[in-house]
Order: sequence, then structure tokens, then C-alpha cells
Amino acid sequence: MFQVIGGRGVQVTRLLAPGRAVLVEAVRGRKSRTDTVAKSKQGRIKVPPPVDPTEMVVLKERYAEYEMITRALRLEFKEEVLRKKYEEETGSMAEERSRQEAEEHRALMVFNDQENLRMLQQRVVRIQMEKEEAENKQVEAAIERELQQQEFIKEKEREILKLQEDAKNFITLENLDQRIEEALDSPKNYNFAVDKEGRVVKQTMLQ
Amino acid sequence: MPMKGRFPIRRTLEYLQKGDIVLKNRVKIMTVNYNTSGELSDGARKFVFFNIPQIQYKNQWLQIMMFKNMTPSPFLKFYLDDGEQVLVDMEGKDYKQISQHVKKILGKSEEVLQAEAQAKMQASNPANFGPRKYCLRECICEVEGQVPCPGATPLPKEMTGKHRARMAAAAAQE
Repeated sequence: MFQVIGGRGVQVTRLLAPGRAVLVEAVRGRKSRTDTVAKSKQGRIKVPPPVDPTEMVVLKERYAEYEMITRALRLEFKEEVLRKKYEEETGSMAEERSRQEAEEHRALMVFNDQENLRMLQQRVVRIQMEKEEAENKQVEAAIERELQQQEFIKEKEREILKLQEDAKNFITLENLDQRIEEALDSPKNYNFAVDKEGRVVKQTMLQ
Repeated sequence: MPMKGRFPIRRTLEYLQKGDIVLKNRVKIMTVNYNTSGELSDGARKFVFFNIPQIQYKNQWLQIMMFKNMTPSPFLKFYLDDGEQVLVDMEGKDYKQISQHVKKILGKSEEVLQAEAQAKMQASNPANFGPRKYCLRECICEVEGQVPCPGATPLPKEMTGKHRARMAAAAAQE
């Protein structure tokens, strides 16, 4: 369907052909190449639309100009965007800014380091105080323990002495008769009286 | 109606959006070492409990890691993208002081934040119509009170170009 026209005809064709960059190839559509042609399209010969030469020439010029202008505008805008981006990243302002930022960052880091140093000193002091307190506590605890031990020993000694005292009054085989005699001689009265007010009266008559 | 956790306000959008620590782009990783018991680590615990959700909300791409009971004293460590490490001692400090300190040394300043907000607003102009990815709306027919899309409901005859052309042709003929 698309014949090749050679020789001088090419220039004419180029002049007269619409200035499209890409030729639209025939698309198969719904039917494959083995399907029969429709009845209404049996003898059809497809003819390209007629071209008026003078109109074509004028249109081509105008289109060429128009497309050149629009392409130029598009490229201008693209270039502007790229230039802005470039300025943003590697312009003179960007270097200033990055230097300033680095300086600020360094200053802040110094501040942070000072803060950390201060905390460190506080911590050292605190640990020192805690250690001293712990030591004091230990010493005190040791003293407490010593005192308690001493108390214990004294208590035990007192008990021993008390026992020794009591031992003098014990009833032994030798004293037995004597003590029995004494007990019989002195009768003890365990009775007592209580009145309604709760007063205890230990002196009662032995019967 | 479940309110989960001890301070469920921490899970509300309003609380998260109130967070004011936006870290610089250079900070990539934040590590928190703290202890679960002890008077000195109390500020650190509160910082982790109250402020970390806000920080993560505002810095979605920041990696935050928590380590418990590994060291006797609590601290923060920030890892920047050029390999620099910033250590912040937290022992004995109040959680408000900690967050202010962090904001001062590694946070974006107010002007920077405002400039960024401005740039974002300029980029997303609501007057632009286009693909959903870049603009709010694609066609004026989506706006309330405007002529509805002729794809959904057919236009009245008087508004179609066909009718108008016919009228114009009829008038020209006369």
C-alpha cells in the first residue's frame, strides 16, 4: 500500500507531504489477514486525503515556526529548573550555607560536650559521697555489733552471778531437816480478801 | 470502648502532632540506653515513655532503638550520616530538660521548619488541576457546586457545542 517514489519525485513528495516525524503504520484492527473483506468494502481503494500545494507550503512554514517556538520555550523552562537545582546544590549561597551549618553544628557539639563534662563532674562527686557514706555506715555497723556483743556478755555474767547467789539458798541433803523444821515453825498464810473496789487485803486470820 | 495502656493520651494524633522535636536530616539513628529501676534513671524513663512516640511521629525515617539495663547510667546516642556519634548524658536530668537539650543540639530550628512548610505549600497549590499524584483534583467537575461531569450525567442540550454551533449556523444563514 505504501509505494516508494524515487528520484525527483521525492523532493516534491517531501514538500507536499504533511510534516509529521513518524508515519502512522496501518493497524490490523479487529480482523486478521485471512478474514474476508466486508461486502460493502469489496472494491474499495483507499485514497489519501487531497493536498492543496499552496496551502501545504504555507501550513508547513507556519507549523515549523510554531513548533520551533514551543520547543524553544519548553527547553527554556527545563533549563531554568535545572539551573535552579544546580544553584541550590552547588551555588555560592549553598557553600556559604553549608559552611555556616557546619560551624553551628560544631558550636552545638562543643556545648553538648561541656554539658556532658558537667554531668560527669556531678556524677564523680555523687559517687564519692556515696562511697564515703557507705564506709561510714560500715564502721558504725561494726561498732554496733561490738556493743551488742559486749552487752550479751554482760548479761550472761549477770545471770551467772544471780545463779550463784541463789545457789546459797538451795535446799540440800544436809539442810533438809533444818529447813523442814523451819517451814513447820513458820506457817505462811496464802489467803487474801478482795472487796468490791478491788482492794486486796493480804492480812487475814489464819485458821 | 478500649483505652489501652496507662496514659492512652500518648496514642492520640493530637498529642503526637504536638511534638516539637524535628531532628536534622543528617541524624539517622537514635539509641537510648536506660534502666528500668533507680532514681537517677527516672527522667530517662519518662522521656522514653512520653517523648519518644512524638519524636518517631515527626521523624518517620529515623531509626530509634531502646536498650534496657545495659549500663549503670542512662544516655542517648545519635549516629549521623557522616559517621559522627553524639553522646548525651541523661543521668539525673528531668525529661523536659532532656527533650529541650536534644532539640537545641540536633533539632531543626523554627525558621528552617517554617521555610520547609512554605516550600511545601508552594509546591502543592490547590489551584492546580492534574494527576492525583501531584494535585488535589483532576477536573473542575469534582468541585461542589460546579457543573457535574458530562461522563456521569449528560449536559442539557443548550450547553452542548453541537447545539450552539447549529444555532450559530442558523443565525448566520438568516
